[in-house]
Amino acid sequence: MNRRLAGVATIAALIVGILISLQIETKRSLDMAEQIQVERLNQISGVLTSLQEENARLLEENNHVTAELNRLRETGDTNPLLAAQLEQLKIQDGTIPVNGLGVKMVITDSGPDLAVLFPINTDDVCNIINILRFAGAEAISVNGQRVVASSSVVLSGNATILINSVPIGRIGATTYEILAIGDPDMLYDYLNRLEVLSLKQAGMRVDLTKEEVTLPSYKGNYYFDYASRTST
Amino acid sequence: MAAILMGTLLKSNLTISAETPYPTGLPGLLQLEIENEGLAAENERLRQELTQLQNSRNVSALAGEQMDAARLNAGQVELTGPGIRVVLDDAVVRESEGYGNYVIHEQYLRQLVNVLWSGGAEAIAVNDQRVTGQTEIFCSGAFIQINGTRQSPPYRIVALGNQSDLRAALQFYFWDKLGYYQQQYGITRELEIPTQHLSVPAAKTRPIRFAAQAREGGT
Repeated sequence: MNRRLAGVATIAALIVGILISLQIETKRSLDMAEQIQVERLNQISGVLTSLQEENARLLEENNHVTAELNRLRETGDTNPLLAAQLEQLKIQDGTIPVNGLGVKMVITDSGPDLAVLFPINTDDVCNIINILRFAGAEAISVNGQRVVASSSVVLSGNATILINSVPIGRIGATTYEILAIGDPDMLYDYLNRLEVLSLKQAGMRVDLTKEEVTLPSYKGNYYFDYASRTST
Repeated sequence: MAAILMGTLLKSNLTISAETPYPTGLPGLLQLEIENEGLAAENERLRQELTQLQNSRNVSALAGEQMDAARLNAGQVELTGPGIRVVLDDAVVRESEGYGNYVIHEQYLRQLVNVLWSGGAEAIAVNDQRVTGQTEIFCSGAFIQINGTRQSPPYRIVALGNQSDLRAALQFYFWDKLGYYQQQYGITRELEIPTQHLSVPAAKTRPIRFAAQAREGGT
């Protein structure tokens, strides 16, 4: 009896010993991982800062050149009718930033107080864009990406949503801000009836408001390497 | 006692491994980098325009050039070139149960158009309706509304661009699923890659009533 007890105690002591050493080992490798992590984060934040500086510089240059262009255009002897027509076309092809009356929709599909089974995916984004177009939207943007005719909404890997080949968020970890310019009442009603209810039923938080919005320009390029004007 | 000790040790081991931090901020970084690239390209374009404008004796000639380019981008010019054509049609035999499986839905058309753009299409038309930034493909009961017109099957999607790129994009994303629907329900999908050129018509002009160029701010 005593011997059996001693045997059990030995085994228990052994297991405890193994666990303690495992614990120490894990802690050590974790510390190392953490250190690497910190270094990596430092590197990333360095890159981020330089990118942000670059971004600010480019934006300033952009504003400067645009202002200069506008000044020249206005003082030049351009036909105002032609200029207005050009502006309309550029609003349609998305190559200039625009503002005007419209709607802003903010969708939150993840967070501590939300239980969403199926977060926003590429089909939902396509659907919302289509409804806005159906409601006569003149310009649309999703998370800072202007949506033009040739904008595609696709998945990269298994969770990153790309618009215009630029990542706009990860499925289940992003808030979506959708801006559209057009008749505010129509945009609001169509979205409300056709999309908002189902998103809310899926457990998401949706804020839809009519307001004046400003949308960025399309930063991609138009290519016509294969197609050409039909000769008549 | 030993059991309790073992329990706590095991538990703390488990919690440690669950707490591994993961890098954040990488997508944001990538986004910023791509945005910077785009901005640099746009600035370059603007600067060129500026020099042109400063040098040009004939401002209206330049305006004409810009007008042509903008019209092309906005889809208001009929285009011809190599491309592919996809034809979709409802099933001939339709059972009343699960009727929805036997017809072509707006989602199929939209998905195809989306995929073709991602494959580098330069211009797309569905049933001779040019697809622009304002084009809706919206199911309204018995027909599908495109550019405010009613369309019914068969649906012919024409995309101009590099034929093998377009075909690859199609097959990568959606074609097999449509093939499955074809086998199961008898809808038809056809892909044509003609050697002769295809055309897409110009879009009709739509007036812009609410949007205006933003002078400041918007990036």
